[in-house]
Amino acid sequence: MGAGSRMGLGQPSGEPDAKAGSPVKLEYRTLGRTGLKVTTVGMGCMITSDPSVIERAADMGINYFDTARGYQQGNNERMVGAALGARRKQVVLSTKSHAPNKDELQKHLETSLKELNTDYIDIWYLHGKSSPEEIPDEMIEVQQLAKKQGKVRFTGVSTHSGQQQLLPWMAQKGVFDVVLTAYNFTMDASMDQAIAAAAKAGMGVVAMKVMAGGVRRQKPGDPLYKKLTQDGALLAALKWVVNKPNIATTIPSMTDMDQLDENLKAMGTPFSTGDEKLLTAHLDAIRPLYCRMCGKCDGACQKGLPVADVLRFLTYADGYGQFALGRERFMELSAEQVAVRCGDCAECTVKCPYGVQVESRMTRAQELFA
Amino acid sequence: MKAAAGLLVAVLFAAGVARAQDALDCHIASGWEPTGPVRQYVADNLYEYKDGAADGYLIYGFARMKSIDCKSGGDTLTIDVSEMTDADAAYGIFTANRDPKLAIAKIGMGGQVQAQSALFAKGKYYVEIAEVAANPEADHSATMQAFVAKIQERLEGRESAPEALEWFPKENLASVRLIPESVLGLRLLKRGYVAKYAQGQAFIVLESTPESAAEVLKKLRERFDGAAPAQIGDEAFQAKAQYLEGICVFRKGRYVAGYANLPEARDAATLAAKLAARIP
Repeated sequence: MGAGSRMGLGQPSGEPDAKAGSPVKLEYRTLGRTGLKVTTVGMGCMITSDPSVIERAADMGINYFDTARGYQQGNNERMVGAALGARRKQVVLSTKSHAPNKDELQKHLETSLKELNTDYIDIWYLHGKSSPEEIPDEMIEVQQLAKKQGKVRFTGVSTHSGQQQLLPWMAQKGVFDVVLTAYNFTMDASMDQAIAAAAKAGMGVVAMKVMAGGVRRQKPGDPLYKKLTQDGALLAALKWVVNKPNIATTIPSMTDMDQLDENLKAMGTPFSTGDEKLLTAHLDAIRPLYCRMCGKCDGACQKGLPVADVLRFLTYADGYGQFALGRERFMELSAEQVAVRCGDCAECTVKCPYGVQVESRMTRAQELFA
Repeated sequence: MKAAAGLLVAVLFAAGVARAQDALDCHIASGWEPTGPVRQYVADNLYEYKDGAADGYLIYGFARMKSIDCKSGGDTLTIDVSEMTDADAAYGIFTANRDPKLAIAKIGMGGQVQAQSALFAKGKYYVEIAEVAANPEADHSATMQAFVAKIQERLEGRESAPEALEWFPKENLASVRLIPESVLGLRLLKRGYVAKYAQGQAFIVLESTPESAAEVLKKLRERFDGAAPAQIGDEAFQAKAQYLEGICVFRKGRYVAGYANLPEARDAATLAAKLAARIP
């Protein structure tokens, strides 16, 4: 059975099944060429442990759910499948495979179908790709075959980095229906351009990491932790993404009912001046320290320092207390790079467009590691 | 003084690293060689390696990971040793990732060995070994066993599972896992163990004091319409809810525990009374 023959089976492929009496205002967008109408807030199930949160999310009207073969060694897919139960055909269900070759990819698909307790997956992603080189034709062929067999309705790629190169390539390739990409308010305009190119080519764009890593990646004391734990900051971050027209849906992680209720508020609510102030304040606080890995400083140092890398090594030591790791990475640079002393230059040639104080940060790294 | 403190931290860190580093030796199994140096990751760069799955580690209290690839003939395997914040966290991530259909083997605090993978927890360490096989059907369980045996010898730490696990009644018990946040999908129940049964689930959450446990129970009761008091532990209530169905929650000292997803509240109360009797 082909994907097209599934369109009339009551799945969310046409007009959404609006939730009569739902206490929240649901907002839908079309997921690119798939034609699927998805709620602008979906649900990332990776760290959800209790199925009741998924059940309630579906009952509240959220209709996009995301998991992956690799989450909790497959236990997450099993839980999501069981939680959706009879609701399966009323939602868009996506999963991903990180398989390194076509044989394993094929095997992952069969396992995902079994664990999710379904005979088709709505969107099947190749998981965590950063460049076209990581997506050989044989993997695409497995995806296309699965589509023809009716096991998969639409195919895509998920990506956390390298989007500026990967998304235009995907758009040009023309075989992918959807891209799932990290996207949040800390990213620069080049990310918007990459996403716009994908959307223009007809791909549906799903955003993840919409809360810039939330609070789990941060430690108390870090600027990001303080800001994101303020009331409303996480919701503002979600609203920022939801209000971008090229983004069809988002998949914030949710572990409890309170978080679900909070995230639902992002639908149909404009990104306000207050939200903007909150996020701007956050960016101002982290600007001197926080590298957004935009790549604009690549090759800018007259002494050949890989500035973004050194900033990252410094974060290991200063942000996480992992001096040994920071130094180890620093010492992996070439001997010439390790020997560079920024104080020897009359003027720093690297100007960060986001205000990172490059010269002082590089000097600190040299004092600390070299 | 500051420099001396920094040196002490560096020495202590190096000591912790050394223990994990010792375990990451491809030569501990005959015929295996490393294909490159040991890689290390912290919360900030774990995504470089576990792209897309890093949050699954972070939520369990991840501190750092060391990883190495080993090769023997045409076979390659990867060994990851994660250092978690404590032994409970290490056992917790093991319970999240283990195959619930397979029994837990006596490897450290607990482990499982399969044809192409193995995982176990010992002390604050969580270890994963995975074969990167050309043939996904090949059976490499003997290799897995050999690595597991040697690695666990080299890691220090607790070898007994958390005490709380013993308190769950064993009859019809399907699986037990640590939920790192929002037990039963309720933010009030911050972190605890959940036992799945053929029907329903039990949970045990440890609060810092009896007073904070009482506060949690009070707020929890307010969330359930029609909650009725029950005579279990120090205080308790039972209710019927849309997603948690028949539920009974009690407090005993610092513990907030109970049963949920039973057909009726009274069913949950009956089982909760048995659980309360097992909690010291």
